[in-house]
Amino acid sequence: MSANAITVSYLAAAVLFIVAIKGFAKPETAKGGNRLGILGMAIAVAVTMALAFREGTAGLPIVAGTVALGTVVGAFLARSLPMTAMPELVALLNSFGGLAAVFVGMSSYLEPGELDETERAIHLVECWIGVAIGAITFTGSVVAWGKLRGTFSGAPRLLPGRHLLNLAMLGAIVGMCWPYLDAVDADAGLQWLLILAGVAAVLGVTLVVAIGGADMPVVVSLLNSYSGWAAASTGFVLRNDLLIVTGAIVGASGAILTIIMCRAMNRSILNVVFGGFGTAGSAPAASGDGPQGEVQETDVDGLVAELKQAKEVVIVPGYGMAVARAQHGVKELVELLQERDVRVRFAIHPVAGRLPGHMNVLLAEAGVPYDIVLEMDLINEDFPETDVALVIGANDIVNPSAATDASSPIYGMPVLEVWEAKRTVVFKRSMSTGYAGVQNPLFFHERTRMLFGDAKKSVDAIVGQLRD
Amino acid sequence: MHRTTLGVPREAGAREKRVAIVPETVAKLAELGFDVIVEAGAGAEAGFDDAAYEEAGATVSGPESYREAPAEDPWKADLVVKVSPPSESEAKRLREGATLVSLLQPESNSELMAALEAEKVSAIALDKIPRITRAQKMDVLSSMANLAGYRAVLEGAAAYQGFMGAQVTAAGTDPPAKVLVIGAGVAGLAAIATAHAMGAEVRAFDVRPATAEQVESLGGKFLMLDFEESGEGGGGYAKVMSEEFIEAEMALFREQAREVDLVITTALIPGKKAPTLLPEDVVAELRPGSVVVDLAAAAGGNCVYTKADEVVVHEGVTILGYTDLPSRMAHTASRFFSANVRHLLTDMVGEEGFVLDLEDEVVRAATQIHEGERLPPPPRKEPTPPPKPEPPREAAPRKEPEEESGAGKAVGTVIGAAIAAAAFALVGLFAPEDFVQHFTVFILACFVGWQIVWAVAPALHTPLMSVTNAISGIVLVGGLVQAAPGGSGLPVILGAVALLIGTINVAGGFLVTERMLGMFKKGGPK
Repeated sequence: MSANAITVSYLAAAVLFIVAIKGFAKPETAKGGNRLGILGMAIAVAVTMALAFREGTAGLPIVAGTVALGTVVGAFLARSLPMTAMPELVALLNSFGGLAAVFVGMSSYLEPGELDETERAIHLVECWIGVAIGAITFTGSVVAWGKLRGTFSGAPRLLPGRHLLNLAMLGAIVGMCWPYLDAVDADAGLQWLLILAGVAAVLGVTLVVAIGGADMPVVVSLLNSYSGWAAASTGFVLRNDLLIVTGAIVGASGAILTIIMCRAMNRSILNVVFGGFGTAGSAPAASGDGPQGEVQETDVDGLVAELKQAKEVVIVPGYGMAVARAQHGVKELVELLQERDVRVRFAIHPVAGRLPGHMNVLLAEAGVPYDIVLEMDLINEDFPETDVALVIGANDIVNPSAATDASSPIYGMPVLEVWEAKRTVVFKRSMSTGYAGVQNPLFFHERTRMLFGDAKKSVDAIVGQLRD
Repeated sequence: MHRTTLGVPREAGAREKRVAIVPETVAKLAELGFDVIVEAGAGAEAGFDDAAYEEAGATVSGPESYREAPAEDPWKADLVVKVSPPSESEAKRLREGATLVSLLQPESNSELMAALEAEKVSAIALDKIPRITRAQKMDVLSSMANLAGYRAVLEGAAAYQGFMGAQVTAAGTDPPAKVLVIGAGVAGLAAIATAHAMGAEVRAFDVRPATAEQVESLGGKFLMLDFEESGEGGGGYAKVMSEEFIEAEMALFREQAREVDLVITTALIPGKKAPTLLPEDVVAELRPGSVVVDLAAAAGGNCVYTKADEVVVHEGVTILGYTDLPSRMAHTASRFFSANVRHLLTDMVGEEGFVLDLEDEVVRAATQIHEGERLPPPPRKEPTPPPKPEPPREAAPRKEPEEESGAGKAVGTVIGAAIAAAAFALVGLFAPEDFVQHFTVFILACFVGWQIVWAVAPALHTPLMSVTNAISGIVLVGGLVQAAPGGSGLPVILGAVALLIGTINVAGGFLVTERMLGMFKKGGPK
């Protein structure tokens, strides 16, 4: 295979990736996009193999075996995990990408190929950067994975002096580059790389443990972005344009998702990454003030009676729905209401759940058609005409103090204005606060009724009564 | 769960027409494990007759019946609930180990407190329930102050010989009465709302500027003092102010006194004599025919001429010093009082029945004597502001995050572009040609990625993340190149491991995306 043929093939793969992502603009074309992505990847792997084995096929068994094994394991993970475990899986796969970048960086350091003096220096620095980003992505994603699946507490862990600590580690990562570049031989240099990987790994942990559960969508997006940059830096290490292009696109994609998530919470990225949200300054406001009055409860019978009268119903799902696995019951509820000629729609806040778009995936899994699932901006102004708004397992994203109370830690965050509805019913386990740790005046609103209990049981009971 | 007898004696005070527990509450208390014993005639003056109590399930007993059955003496019950503080002779009727729940004003009733101590009882002062959110529903002082504020306006209006609201008649036009309310606590706010509802022009003053919003939300005009000092004390009360402040305040009152027809004063400082807000020179400015209603009469009065429970006319100005305003609405007042007490008792009933749990913040603060022992005041906790009246329905103007982030984004873009340009220039100057080529590709790819990802539907963000995740597994290519030479060198092993996890990432990512996308279905026509 000629060098040009390889370049053209790589170009084709890169273009396929771009077209693939473009396909995600609409649900109708997304599936085709995904297939194009697979095709691009297949071309990339095939061409690389052709290139790698041009001079001998000694490594073929290893390579083929590894690819086969990896595919089987990946396919198994993708097939076997339930949809509710999706956030964890994305975080886990992300960590693999980071780890792979670390290994490639080290390996390439040991086998740099033929380079002149300047190129060698640049290559060394590239390895350094690749390993650092890869290691941060790896451990950061592992911690995110643990938090998402509940292995680690979702609450932010704030180490004393963590800003200094993080800064010191960042300084060390940059500072250690010099002795590494001056290393006399490959062994000494590799030791420096291992130390670097260790420090970067710790940094990945300390950065992510400080971030609370509600900020997980941001963190996962950010780590997604890092994994892209890790791939791009690997591309520089290997002087491979395909990796550079792909890495850059993935990096940009993650960065955009991060921006979208931050906007949805009205917070800057620095605030999310270094903020330790819902702790330090804001917590006393939460615990001190307490509820502003009495909550009014309702029961399944009362709610069913109201639903039978309603013409417009909006359902606001939150992470609580995912935890209770209530989405299938919700779908049945929607169908029963539609049979009664009630217009039912869903209102999705950008940061509902633990991943960008998490709720959409869950509802899609339950079979809810996507054209009744609307984004916040499209549905917010319809609440005043809504007869019943059902808030299922959501809290901070429907908190009116974000709009009205300047002292609230979530002030300024766009929220779903469910309190404008003629009746709002909140499905909730208890009166505990959401991830932001702030009390929600919605629960004490005169038109709000609380339906305490497990969301799935409540929804199923309503479905049962509506069916009779 | 043990049952507790709850005695409701008849109030002995001459002006006390209220009763601590109303029939409506009796049944609810029975559910909580209380057997209620009501002294005959206890509710008569509040409009609750004995038959109503009996119907609700209470035992009604007079002296003749409990002479025979001592257990039916309400004073011998496990728990005795009263409105006014008992007299010392009444205190002696309590049995050892009983619990008394009542207004007590322990600071000014030291002899009574000593008597209760001697009887080895426990005493819970309803007036010492802390003003925290959880205890709002038990706050007798607030509910009574609310009634007092309302009633003060009615009494004042009755004594005032003019209209409250504006009147346009054939005989002529009358402007609305001007009402000045001093002290915007619960009573003051109730007075403001009542006077406003009657059509009067209401102005109000309070040393705590924070109350301005509440005053205005109820239709009053808040009088500002050109002076920097907040009178915010603990627990929603005001504190004693500096001399300069008081001088400025008096100047304001003198000026107001020339205009107003009705003055309602509600200023109290806990544990102290009420501050004098209407000294001789301010009253001298009031027009003949105007009326002062002094809600602080029991604590010495806010007006120098106030006499408790009397109507004083000083140079044509009528000064009402009623201390029994809630009692003048005994029916409603009793219902509120009773509901407050029920909420307190509901909180105190545990699995074992009624217990006096000193671990409970509210109970601890209200309990003055525990089993015959005087308790020191509880450690002070952070004071919380008093309950605010419901804010008006209109939401505060919404902060526009869009604009701000838009501007921020523009600045960010410019700075980012500048840094990128500088970096690019440096790279161009110093890096070898090969690197510059890769770098060009990198920058262009960033832009392409930036453009296409913005177009992605928000609903597809999770699949997007997982597909980009899969694509970023392209690092497996690097692993492949490194592993290709074969053998067992370290680079090969590292490469193989990278290839393995990269492949997992790629295969897993694409298949998960496929699975997710397969679920997105459009709704069929209905």
